[in-house]
Amino acid sequence: MFKQILYTQWKWTRLPLLVLLLAAFALPVFSARGASAAGRDNWLIEQMLSSLQSWGLVYPLLAGTVGLILARSTWSADHAGKHIYALSLPVPRWNYVLMRFGAGATLLVAPVLALWVGALVATVATTLPPSLQAYPTILALRFGLAAFVAYGVIFAISAGTNKTAGYILAGLGAVLLAQLFLDALGFETLFVQSLLVKLVLWPGPFEIFTGRWMLFDV
Amino acid sequence: MSHAVEIRDLHYRAGKSFEIRELALSVPTGSMYGFLGPNGAGKTTTIRLMLGLLRPRSGRIVVLGGEVPREAPRVLARTGYVPEQPHLYQSLTVDEALRFHAAFYPSWDWKWADELMGEFHLDRTRLLSRLSKGEMGKLEMLLALAQRPELLVLDEPTDGLDPVVRRDVLTALLEYVSQQNATVFISSHLVHELERICDWVGVMDRGRLVAELPMHSFKNGIKRLRVANPPALPGDTPFVLLSREAGTGAVETWIVRGWQAPMSQYFEGVGAGLRDVVDLDLEEGFVELLRTFRVPTS
Repeated sequence: MFKQILYTQWKWTRLPLLVLLLAAFALPVFSARGASAAGRDNWLIEQMLSSLQSWGLVYPLLAGTVGLILARSTWSADHAGKHIYALSLPVPRWNYVLMRFGAGATLLVAPVLALWVGALVATVATTLPPSLQAYPTILALRFGLAAFVAYGVIFAISAGTNKTAGYILAGLGAVLLAQLFLDALGFETLFVQSLLVKLVLWPGPFEIFTGRWMLFDV
Repeated sequence: MSHAVEIRDLHYRAGKSFEIRELALSVPTGSMYGFLGPNGAGKTTTIRLMLGLLRPRSGRIVVLGGEVPREAPRVLARTGYVPEQPHLYQSLTVDEALRFHAAFYPSWDWKWADELMGEFHLDRTRLLSRLSKGEMGKLEMLLALAQRPELLVLDEPTDGLDPVVRRDVLTALLEYVSQQNATVFISSHLVHELERICDWVGVMDRGRLVAELPMHSFKNGIKRLRVANPPALPGDTPFVLLSREAGTGAVETWIVRGWQAPMSQYFEGVGAGLRDVVDLDLEEGFVELLRTFRVPTS
């Protein structure tokens, strides 16, 4: 059963997955090339790190995109058929959801591996100054974890009906409107900001997306 | 008599406008049960409740001995289902759809699936999104049959299909039933189709079961009578008077249910004359039944 679910998942995502694979492979290679160019001219470590840091924003963005695309495609075919087929299959609902989740998560490994290989290639191809070290495996693991978090969150939201997704969006919209309203009235209650801080700072679930995403660092 | 499907006191509500109330239904094991009703009567909803796709507010559903929705996976493993609308993954090829489906059914019969592929002239490499309505109908039936189910639940399986495809699909169905003694629950508003193949009939309208009886009783029991000098008030009739319409002169047309020949004595007793007894076919009987059901009670 899982094999077939994985197959359908692969079929639905193979084209975007190919693009994501290429992007994941190219990202560390390009970021290292930029850093090398900076280092060759002046051999200034700070300039090299600054160049790497400017690429650092792209890693979490790509991880989020990988999670988003895989999670959305997991449910799109079932949504199109109003879930009738999935519900009429002789497996408990939780089992089916788990298999769909597992299939998407399995495919998630491919871009992570591509990024890891890209990072290894970039590391081998770059001559680093003695004070810097390469972190290809840690970067790939971090990328994998971020993609998995994004995948998990979007998978859970997508699993619901459009109505549920609407409620979630309406809830977020209401929070933002309330904040704007309070701002307009001159209140200094920054609950949207504090909510965001809680989400992106440890132990918030999105902490993994923040911080330094560096292939080479001190 | 054992029952493949038993529903008792079922209550389900979808929104404010549609409700299924106090539904009771019994499908004898091994029967071909025709589930009739106009569009919007609640047939598809009843089927989805029966298979555990929807959850009722209250009531009891037992299918093949298993409580639904609690034991739905076990029940679904032994049930072939053809839904009203094609529901398969459109981006798969026919072959991929077969493999996907087969993986979930331990009793899947590849040999027979291959035979049906040949009989139905289906191209394995064709994408489902490229199949015609007829081809999709045949594929849905193939998937339901090749899992060798004990119960087949078919929701308008031939609706919109051309006569040739309809014949192919029904032939495959009847062949399977004759071999396996499976129970078939077939919903349709194509009354003539059910008349030919079903031995039990249930009629649903506006979320309620109007009638449930053997097909022969349904067909033979509903008659059109031409009555001369009818009484103004029919009184205590031995049959169910569904409707009466004035005709020419002192002759009225009565539609009755539960008619048997000795009942003609009733007319002598009330001073009326029975001129004619005409058999109604299933469609006419169905229409009359619904018409009576829909007459508001004063």
